[in-house]
Amino acid sequence: MTAVEVGVRGGTERLDERPSRRRGRRNDRLLGIAEHSVAILLTAVFLGPIVLIVLTAFMSSGQTLTSDLWPHEWHLSNFRQVFVEAPFLTWLKNSLVYSVLATGFMLLSSFPAAYALARLKWRGRNLVLLAVITMMLLPPQVTVVPVYRMWAELGLTGTLWPLILPNLVGDAFSIFLLRQFLLTIPQEYSDAARVDGASELQIMLRVIVPMAKPAIAATSMFMFFFTWNDYFGPLLYTSDEPSNWTVAVGLASFRGLHHVQWNLVMAATVLVMLPVVVLFFFAQKAFVEGVTLTGVKG
Amino acid sequence: MLLMAPWAIGFVVFFVYPLIATVWYSFTRFDLLSPPKFVGLRNYRYFLFDDPNSWKALRNTFWFVVFMMPARLVSALLIAQLLTRIRRGGSFFRTVFFLPALAPPVAATIAFAFLFNPATGAVNTLLGWIGVEGPLWLSDPALAKPVLLTLGVWGMGDIMIIFLAALLDVPIEQYEAADLDGAGPVQQFRYITLPNLSPVLLFAAITGVIDALQYFTQAAVASALASGVATTGGGTASSLGYPDGATLTYPLWLYQMGYQNFYLGYACAMAVILLVISLVFVSFMLRRSASFLGTEDLR
Amino acid sequence: MTSTRYRRLATVSLVVAALALSGCGSSSDSSAAPPPKASKPTGQITFWHFFTDREAQAIQSVVKDFEAANPGVTVVVKGGQDDEKMRQAISVGKGPDVGLSYSTDIVGNFCSTGAWRDLGPWLERDKVDINQLLPIVRAYTEYNGTRCSMPMLADTYGLYYNKKMLAAAGYDAPPKTLSELKEMSLKLTKKGADGNIEVAGFVPSTTYYENSSAHLAPIFDATWLTPDGKSNLAGDPDWKAMMLWQQDFADALGAKEVAKFNAGKGEEFSGDNDFQKGRVAMIMDGEWRVAFLKDQAPDVDFATAPFPVPDDQADRYGAGYVTGNIMGISKGSKNPEAAWALIKYLTLNTGAIVKLANGIKNVPTTHAALSSPDLQVDDAFKTFLDVFENPNSQTSPSTANGAVYQNQFDAFFQQWERGKVDDLDAGLAKTDQEIDKALQLGQAP
Repeated sequence: MTAVEVGVRGGTERLDERPSRRRGRRNDRLLGIAEHSVAILLTAVFLGPIVLIVLTAFMSSGQTLTSDLWPHEWHLSNFRQVFVEAPFLTWLKNSLVYSVLATGFMLLSSFPAAYALARLKWRGRNLVLLAVITMMLLPPQVTVVPVYRMWAELGLTGTLWPLILPNLVGDAFSIFLLRQFLLTIPQEYSDAARVDGASELQIMLRVIVPMAKPAIAATSMFMFFFTWNDYFGPLLYTSDEPSNWTVAVGLASFRGLHHVQWNLVMAATVLVMLPVVVLFFFAQKAFVEGVTLTGVKG
Repeated sequence: MLLMAPWAIGFVVFFVYPLIATVWYSFTRFDLLSPPKFVGLRNYRYFLFDDPNSWKALRNTFWFVVFMMPARLVSALLIAQLLTRIRRGGSFFRTVFFLPALAPPVAATIAFAFLFNPATGAVNTLLGWIGVEGPLWLSDPALAKPVLLTLGVWGMGDIMIIFLAALLDVPIEQYEAADLDGAGPVQQFRYITLPNLSPVLLFAAITGVIDALQYFTQAAVASALASGVATTGGGTASSLGYPDGATLTYPLWLYQMGYQNFYLGYACAMAVILLVISLVFVSFMLRRSASFLGTEDLR
Repeated sequence: MTSTRYRRLATVSLVVAALALSGCGSSSDSSAAPPPKASKPTGQITFWHFFTDREAQAIQSVVKDFEAANPGVTVVVKGGQDDEKMRQAISVGKGPDVGLSYSTDIVGNFCSTGAWRDLGPWLERDKVDINQLLPIVRAYTEYNGTRCSMPMLADTYGLYYNKKMLAAAGYDAPPKTLSELKEMSLKLTKKGADGNIEVAGFVPSTTYYENSSAHLAPIFDATWLTPDGKSNLAGDPDWKAMMLWQQDFADALGAKEVAKFNAGKGEEFSGDNDFQKGRVAMIMDGEWRVAFLKDQAPDVDFATAPFPVPDDQADRYGAGYVTGNIMGISKGSKNPEAAWALIKYLTLNTGAIVKLANGIKNVPTTHAALSSPDLQVDDAFKTFLDVFENPNSQTSPSTANGAVYQNQFDAFFQQWERGKVDDLDAGLAKTDQEIDKALQLGQAP
């Protein structure tokens, strides 16, 4: 996704494409080296815990809680145990169903709402925005009680539907995020289309959606990652139906009453993170390098 | 308008209905198993006067709001800014800084607890190499929250990405014009970068405050591990908030009172109180942002 | 907002409120009395427990025996369930027919709310002699005269000591009194050049593994509640004695050093456990540690004994803390007859109990099972059976709100250990007040 594809911005150069033009190439090089050094140092700090997780994933059960940082032996069998002996593929399937459907439903319902809040003027708009934000303020630990009973009456407990279906009526976080992104698309584009005689719906679908693709991508990724790692939601609704467990719930199952198998937990963590890391690596280009949210000619 | 219709339904079913139920329960004695019995303001009175932990929990949660949210925001902004200037290996660095945000919260907290283990953790081992005796970290009431703050900053990748996207979009011309006018980097940051980022900054600030107000999982796991109880999800009641209640956040206390001690009516009262406080906070932020950034519209 | 919007909002609110309130009253089908005559159990029942892995398998095999003895009954077993899940399920009418809880905390609440059925009528109908069960387990399976649960296996606590380490310091017998414990610990503790404890004799902190105040209470003969259910911390001088003992002991070793050692302890249920690694010479622990030691640290030359008692209570030596698992029939169970049959089997059938005890290595709860020749007992395990049968052993009292009072006292004790309490008597009185107020919070008006 390049700058060229996403809307025409007329000659606006992008920050990461400009040639370096500051005073003095030597200063520039020093600055560049300094920046890279800082980045590398930070990388070491940021990757440290991840490395620990990965190393622990290879340890034997007894070694995991000692102060040893390096595995004595490399137990690849941990991964096999997680992947093969535990129904990891089932968990993966459930997680995928949950995350994909939730994200899809969220977009269907939240984009129009965000659009209405960002690009249309109507009475009570700010109040509704406040309402959207307020929805995020109630602690889930209590909202869960009446909501859980409702789902139980409908007979849907034990499945992931109580987590997926509510996204059909919008997700507050996503609405808020999309709204903020949509605010930054200049009105000129909508106005131009309106002058050309397009209906509001057409404006939304033909003009704004293409321009908002990076925002949509970002919001979708948020939703996807959130649902992927969501533990308490699936735990609450599917804990007594192991066939419906997601990877997050399965991750926590490597424990007996008195004994937690940390090495397996970490191995499962690595396996859980792998798909999303890969997903992110390829998707990041979509919204980071191709984003043009502002930048008006002149 | 029709566009808001689905949201409106959701608002009523998943917010208004639970809210009314919660408010109703907050005036009752309710343990989920017997019908709720009306007790008037008893729960609220207990919160204000009799609960030894209510104010502590509130203070702890505010600590996270006041310290963790800005720390995450600032670090995310600075790192995003750094990333805009790195060209070689940009993809790699972006992934590295975002990676921690992808780690499941429970596993990430466990990794940090191991790193900061006073006896066997890497941090104290490294400190030992330079001759410094490492403190008790998560077992020290004064240091437990800062360690959790570090964990939060480590995972700032999700906000960083949003900032990065927004930063990359500030039009070059604005910077070039400022260069010509002789503005230095700090001034450019203040007068060009920040205003362009304002919608996204506001979003990050508000959701950051909300996250801090709901801070639960990491505190629960960290206190359980520090007190030596080996569970991954919650921890037994007496370990929550270890050490000395330093990590007892408001949602944790609410959870313990509501679900482990069966005081669900009281938990609902706590929820209502938190809602009111959060509303005040958030309205304040929204109002201030409009005036601070000079925009008329509620951006 | 316009007036029409206000009106719309108002109607919506009313409708929602009506819905919410209607959903409030949980459907309470009264705990029906059992049918007058026992019938042959048939049909399917659900059984929830909290075990996983190896322990779950032990349960499974016993359940299979039950099914074999009762053809026509199928038991659907779900492991890994805890009290909260059961509570949620029962509250929406979907509770398991038979539920097993890992502690006795919920007995007060489940019995008083009827979440678990009153088993009294059932026991009477089938003429079950309740005295097969030891008095202590009878105490923690009923509340206020209502027996809504039956005990499955029990846990007891005692002293584990490393024979080799003790012998190296010149001791060939475990301590029997607290002053012996202190004296031996001081000799067994090894400190490094920097003053930090490297090997501890005993760790006098209530946050170290199983040294909690609840487990120490029977040692000091401290009573939690007065007969009318009020907190007794200030009223019973044994609590103060316990706290002063802890402080004196910790100071002798160096309070800061003890705290540091405690913070660096190995995970309790891993191969890194301090006792299994030889980092500590004596600990208080439950009977399950025997199996862990055999499994994870077979080189440790250990033995067990009852935990030492205060010098002025030397005649109570042999006492310890007792707790256990309990099981009951959910309120909404559709097949109580079969559920009752399963409970009787798992809690009263000697063969089943012995098989379970051997499999999970917990303590059986009936006289018959305790004296059964099939029960696998070695010297180490025998200590815990003796503690279990000792008349001075105690359990924690049940309240309508579970273990709240224990948590509150623990919090106070932790402050005490950090040296943050100036006036111990005032602190105990204040904690009493807090406990009483918290208990009141849960009272129905």
